Amino acid sequence: MHEFGITKALVDLCNTEAEKNNLAKIYKIHLKIGKFTGFSPDSIRFYFEYLKTGTKCQDAEITFNEVPIRIKCASCGKENKIEEPILVCPDCGKMTIEVISGREFYVASIEGD
Amino acid sequence: MKKINVLKPVLVSNKQRAQENRQKFDRMNSLVINIIASPGAGKTSIIERIVQYFKRKVKILIIEGDIRGQVDSKRLAKLGVDVVQINTLTACHLDAFMTAQVLPKIKKKYDLILIENVGNLVCPAEFEIGEDYKLAILSTPEGDDKPMKYPLLFHLARIVIINKSDLLPFVDFSIDAAKKNIMRENSKAKIFEVSAKTGGGFDDFYLFMEKELNAKKKKGKTKG
Repeated sequence: MHEFGITKALVDLCNTEAEKNNLAKIYKIHLKIGKFTGFSPDSIRFYFEYLKTGTKCQDAEITFNEVPIRIKCASCGKENKIEEPILVCPDCGKMTIEVISGREFYVASIEGD
Repeated sequence: MKKINVLKPVLVSNKQRAQENRQKFDRMNSLVINIIASPGAGKTSIIERIVQYFKRKVKILIIEGDIRGQVDSKRLAKLGVDVVQINTLTACHLDAFMTAQVLPKIKKKYDLILIENVGNLVCPAEFEIGEDYKLAILSTPEGDDKPMKYPLLFHLARIVIINKSDLLPFVDFSIDAAKKNIMRENSKAKIFEVSAKTGGGFDDFYLFMEKELNAKKKKGKTKG
């Protein structure tokens, strides 16, 4: 449900960046989305169809580039990619975990004329 | 077609506004806690306990976030503390902009600002509002597996309160399993078991809060 606000922020950000770079129209939005965020691509797509109307994003489509969850253990120093956000070191079993990636949610680039 | 590298977080404006809110709170030396839990977990009851214990020692403000109405505001105002209401109308969480809108209403200096977020374990976790940190509440009837189902909140919360410990004989909830599940998201979380109904288990939490309030005050003084 919070994707409405998120998608509004996304459309605003893209329009501002297009303005700054003299783009009249955006055709592609490349979004980086970490697996350890609470955002659903399907919901974003749903709200985007509604929110893009009448903006520079009108003809744009979003590509979602998923960022895996990577963790580093402070005890054994090993880095691992994990599928689910359960922050236990797969190597030594300790919970001294630092999340290195997976919390990203940003616009990598836009394409347009 | 031109490609423009943007490399900006989608929530960049919320983050900036949250930072501005935080600076305002810091100027007042207020300790600001963002309280997040599912509906019915006991957010308001726990706030009542905190207020009853601390109101003679420190100045407290409650910022009450609800979709509609002022049910909790009225309940908390009866305790003799200042309460400011935010109605989000449709939104399932508070964001930094909604919080910023009520800041001009804050005319006094407060030592402790408790922000009761909208009842929800998902959305409020993603939106910083200017808090020092998040406090998550998990009540025993909800089940000890909730940290695994809503990992982000438990990952981000500095404090996790397990509430309704008085109901333990009646529900399938293992304190050990709950603690393990919380630690697996956040090994640094401070975990407290309480019953807002009976008042049981709050001593350790109050002690912790006292230290936090003193630390915030000291920080303000050294900054001058």
